[in-house]
Amino acid sequence: MNIQTSFRKNFAKLIALLILIGGSLIVLVPLLWTVSTSLKTPGEVFGDNFFPEVWKWSNYNDAVNAIPFFTFLKNTLIVLVPVLIGTVFSSALCAYGFARFKFKGKRWLFLVLLATMMLPGQVTMIPMFIMFKEVGWVDTFWPLIIPSFFGGGAFNIFLIRQFMRGIPRDLDEAAFMDGANRWQIFSKIMLPLSKPPLVAVGIFTFMGVWNDFQGPLIYLNSTEKYTLALGLSMFKGLYNIEWNMLMAATILIMLPVLIVFFVAQKYFIEGISISSAMKG
Amino acid sequence: MKRKSHSEKAGYLFILPWFLGLLLFTIGPMIFSLILSFSKWDIITGIGSIEFVGLDNFVNIFHDELFYTSLKVTFIFALVSVPLYQIISLLVAMMLNMRTKGMNFFRLIFFMPSVIPAVAVSMMWIMILNPEYGILNKALSLVGIEGPAWLQDPKYALSALIVMGIWGIGNTIIIYLSGLQGVPEELYEAAQLDGAGIVRRFFSVTIPMISPTIFFNLIMGIIGGFQYFTQAFVMTNGGPLNSTLFYNLFLYNKAFKTYEMGYASALSWILFAIILIFTLIVIRTSSAWVYYNGDDDKD
Repeated sequence: MNIQTSFRKNFAKLIALLILIGGSLIVLVPLLWTVSTSLKTPGEVFGDNFFPEVWKWSNYNDAVNAIPFFTFLKNTLIVLVPVLIGTVFSSALCAYGFARFKFKGKRWLFLVLLATMMLPGQVTMIPMFIMFKEVGWVDTFWPLIIPSFFGGGAFNIFLIRQFMRGIPRDLDEAAFMDGANRWQIFSKIMLPLSKPPLVAVGIFTFMGVWNDFQGPLIYLNSTEKYTLALGLSMFKGLYNIEWNMLMAATILIMLPVLIVFFVAQKYFIEGISISSAMKG
Repeated sequence: MKRKSHSEKAGYLFILPWFLGLLLFTIGPMIFSLILSFSKWDIITGIGSIEFVGLDNFVNIFHDELFYTSLKVTFIFALVSVPLYQIISLLVAMMLNMRTKGMNFFRLIFFMPSVIPAVAVSMMWIMILNPEYGILNKALSLVGIEGPAWLQDPKYALSALIVMGIWGIGNTIIIYLSGLQGVPEELYEAAQLDGAGIVRRFFSVTIPMISPTIFFNLIMGIIGGFQYFTQAFVMTNGGPLNSTLFYNLFLYNKAFKTYEMGYASALSWILFAIILIFTLIVIRTSSAWVYYNGDDDKD
């Protein structure tokens, strides 16, 4: 009987492994095909070969020149860097407030914080656009940057707050006894100890900005202000599509996120696991 | 003394950025949006020209054929994709939960697509779904099937987007995986000793134990499904023949193409109501099927 069950177990495992290999191929083949298309000549794009005859690396050079790639990259970074600073810093600040202080209405305010995660962005999108238009900020980067300095997002506050609550209170209370003030406790003790969720928030923010489409689409009008995600979609519309170049540009916008993903996979998966441990 | 050190007003100062943000970017806009939804305004003339029209927007919406089209597209997408993605994700996650060498490699591969920008994914798939030289139809022709014109065919465009979505469900897979890793091995062993087969163990151990994760993914899936935008905007822009006119795309067109801000605001509140109703249904029924181990929930 033992042999039989172990055989059955191994058989099931084998089938599962085969399915996983098949699934991996479904994930990888489209990506590989995109890479290979990006290296083909225009004529070859329509052919039947999976791989290019000659690997035309100059497509990348041409793609970068066909669209103002480096301008788009610069614009993306102009938004990304301040948003990263604003999000990490201000969400940590507010998380500390919720994690360590007792004040009137805290429970209620925390509930409001959680509730705002449920609100679809569409409800605030139009009034926010009108607000930013009224102050003359449409077609500038400000609407994409400024909100990140106001708490850095409910989800991020929640993530860091959960972690900070796990830091032993004795640590900061001892520092308080020694005469450290609140700000020093936050910046010298809580921030360094909260590195894991801060890094996770940083990575998610990077992805969010890099991948954001609707925000730049609404606020940025002039081509020279486009971010990469927006610029890529424009590339499709403006030129008679040259697929090899379009795919080269597509690979270029994917590459940074994929690199960050492979370097920081541990934080990603931890960050996502923590988020799903949240209770409804 | 010790307790008192934590009950200061300083707490307000630390959460002040969030609170200001709440007023400026959430509560303020919500009030403004509510006013707008009962008004007529084309944004080009100044704020002074906002004209209060009562329920007109809502009445017009319910007479608008495109509203029903977008509702239909979005509901079909949500009703098909949410269960489909959940089932596939859970099955893949269970396989990824096996203890075998090289599993970390598979986990990375499956998760990878979900970090790729939606615009880049859209570009890739425009090419993949191309009827003549796209790789999907080429693969289908190998097994003797003549693939349709996917994105150009109103009968297939929505299905194409649903199929494409499967490629990017890594996020959901990882969440299921972390849920599965929290299930104690002893439970499976005990069930096996009681003579439970693999199917029985799945339904009486796995499903109840990961029900909070299912609950979480279901809610996220519903919210995401109703807010689907980028792929539809980039790949089909609602076409052909409005077969992929998602609700959110319809709303975007009303707000930022024809500048009917009042109408669009009313649409956004209807969307909010729909999401709320579905979320509440899931939450309400959850007490019947979600089991918490709950001894770590204290405040």
